[in-house]
Amino acid sequence: MAGLFFNVLIICVFLVSLSPAASAAPQKTNLSKPQSCTGCHGEFSSVLPAKHPRVAGKDISACTSCHAPDPQNKATAKPYSSKLHLSHMQPDAKLDCLACHTWKPGKAFGVKGAKKPLGTLPAEGMDQIRQIFASWASSKYLDAHHGKKNVTCSGCHDRKLPESGDTVASDRCLACHGDIEKLAKKTEPKDFPDRNPHKSHLGTIDCVVCHKTHQPSKAYCLDCHKNFNMKIRFGEGGPGAKNASGAAK
Amino acid sequence: MKDGDSEQKGMSRRSLLKGAAAVGAMAGLGGLALNLAAPGTAEAITKKLPQKWDETWDVVVIGSGFAGLAAAAEAAGGGAKTVILEKMPIYGGNSIINGGGYAAWDEELHLRQKKNLGNDSVKQHIDDTLKGGDFFNMPALVEVMAKEAPDALNWMINEGGAQLSDVLVIGGGHTAYRAHFSAHNSGKDYTDALKKIAEKRGVKMALNSQVTWIWRKDADPKSPVLGVEVKRGAKVLNIKAKKALILASGGFSQDVEMRLAEWPKLVKEFNCTNQKGATGEMIRFSKAVGADTLHMNFIQLFPFAEPEAGILDRPAVYGFSGPGVGVIYVSKTGKRFVNELDRRDVCAFAQIALGPNMKPAYTIFTDAIPPKFGGKPAEIEAGMKKGRFIKGETIAELAKKIGAPADVLEKTIKDHNRYIAEGKDPEFNKPMKKTMIPMDKGPYYALPMWPAVHHTMGGLRINTNSQVVDVFGAVIPHLYAAGEVAGGVHGSNRLGCNATTECVVFGRIAGKNGAKEKA
Repeated sequence: MAGLFFNVLIICVFLVSLSPAASAAPQKTNLSKPQSCTGCHGEFSSVLPAKHPRVAGKDISACTSCHAPDPQNKATAKPYSSKLHLSHMQPDAKLDCLACHTWKPGKAFGVKGAKKPLGTLPAEGMDQIRQIFASWASSKYLDAHHGKKNVTCSGCHDRKLPESGDTVASDRCLACHGDIEKLAKKTEPKDFPDRNPHKSHLGTIDCVVCHKTHQPSKAYCLDCHKNFNMKIRFGEGGPGAKNASGAAK
Repeated sequence: MKDGDSEQKGMSRRSLLKGAAAVGAMAGLGGLALNLAAPGTAEAITKKLPQKWDETWDVVVIGSGFAGLAAAAEAAGGGAKTVILEKMPIYGGNSIINGGGYAAWDEELHLRQKKNLGNDSVKQHIDDTLKGGDFFNMPALVEVMAKEAPDALNWMINEGGAQLSDVLVIGGGHTAYRAHFSAHNSGKDYTDALKKIAEKRGVKMALNSQVTWIWRKDADPKSPVLGVEVKRGAKVLNIKAKKALILASGGFSQDVEMRLAEWPKLVKEFNCTNQKGATGEMIRFSKAVGADTLHMNFIQLFPFAEPEAGILDRPAVYGFSGPGVGVIYVSKTGKRFVNELDRRDVCAFAQIALGPNMKPAYTIFTDAIPPKFGGKPAEIEAGMKKGRFIKGETIAELAKKIGAPADVLEKTIKDHNRYIAEGKDPEFNKPMKKTMIPMDKGPYYALPMWPAVHHTMGGLRINTNSQVVDVFGAVIPHLYAAGEVAGGVHGSNRLGCNATTECVVFGRIAGKNGAKEKA
């Protein structure tokens, strides 16, 4: 399936590479499927920094004429808001990917106004991206929590589009949340120190065994130790267990 | 040939299969696969052998417990490019949560001789195992297990760095002190040791990789298994095993449907000590390519499991390790109900026979006893806080806490102390041991317990080379099985600590032989 998808994740990458700039609430959100920027924002000047040159146009091609998408994640010149995806993927935004992106099923996927496509994308890949992006922007799970901190797909998955069922290597998690010894110290239960999920009789296990991202997390311990009083954040029904786990450094 | 056509013509299942095999033979590679799944359905005829393989290995091992790790280590040691496929997200299966017991009549440390704990021999180990299994066991397999037991343990110690606890225990059904325990009383001590050997020899392991089919062209006795279909995430891969496919996927205690199909008494309400991956699909797939099974209805209950969740935690090993040094089992009536040194099936069903509302039963001991089987005061201290151990300064206090009449429990303990002194148990005819310690000084402890489904003695029929045998008695080329997925070693009832031994011994044999197959 990976081959089919091509590197569509670069879409996420090019946005995360850009530093935050101005943001402003849209003027109106009553359009069911607005397919242009000006449909909500009126004029581009309302969402741009004061010194930004005047921009003409209706959609994102007004931006991409100067700000080229950056598949290599190396852009430093002419950055614009990296929060574009997050704010526009909120449920009340009612925006589809194709408001800004161009796509022919099975063929090129790109950004309006950009010369080069980002890659090719089959129909099922598009469905998956819609689903995962929606979850990333507003679910009750770990993906949306990372979204709020502006960690996009590439933050965990590198630049290759992950396949459903793919896992994330623990060292990727620990790059921000490590080290594991300190984590274990934080989750040591006061009553029974040996019931520590990060230091159990199973030894070192992968983070993703318990911490799921696009679905509810679940403490693996509870599979056998059904009577343990153990909570995990971003489990079924959302957050909870506030102090149970290590936040990023 | 469409399924509908064949059904209209009233073709039998057998002729259908013969037809499928014949077409497959004509077509050569890329033809039809032998497939007994859902006979009569279109799929049964048209399931095609893979056109290409996504991965190719010399030896493919299914499962990462004792048997799988040992098999992979030995296969790689024999020069085979080897992979382990584990369907769960962690390695180790039931082995990594096992209590660390290993039955061997000797080892290079000679613990029994040093501790002056009497005699033992290969023959005695064989005889106990056969008797414990009501002589349903395949004697040749038992012989291999017992004979190779010391060497397999030495291997884990020397090459894998496994460490043993300085105790030797006599478990139910064994007549000698031959239950060795690992340093941390955990199977992880052995899985880590085996993994170390395997990795050193170049074995690769893939987690989250679930087998969904075994590929074999037809049931011709010369037709080898070719590989497996594997689900990894959303991907379905075909993985070729050039020399051998070794099944070390464990038993089916968590497979309620399969359990009920073999023994309707073992309803889903029974607790289970196993990790949830202990299901029987590899046995089903093996049967679908012609493998024979045996003893499938011999399923063991662990009599001493933690009563609520059914787990086999550290305290649950006390119930098993304690009888040789004097622990007793009592019911809520304060009375003993079984010979504590009897076999697991006897101890388990003695509890169930106590009747409704009698859960849990209790293991009773004093402070002097646990150190004799490797129990540690710190464990008891920690277990007390969790409510796993119940403590009374006097027998009366303990009796009150477990809801037993004080005078009855006092008499039970007093009587048992006398049986130890006299060397005779007139109540249950327990073989009294000099190692048993009378309970004459408080505090007294009670440890709740209740049987939980634990081990499936039956499984795939193998020979002494660990090769899987088909329904006609012929070896299925390139197909091996070791450990709990195989049947025949334990007969109707497995003796405690024999499973780890079986797994390591037959895993090694399967690995060595698999690596020698012609690609």
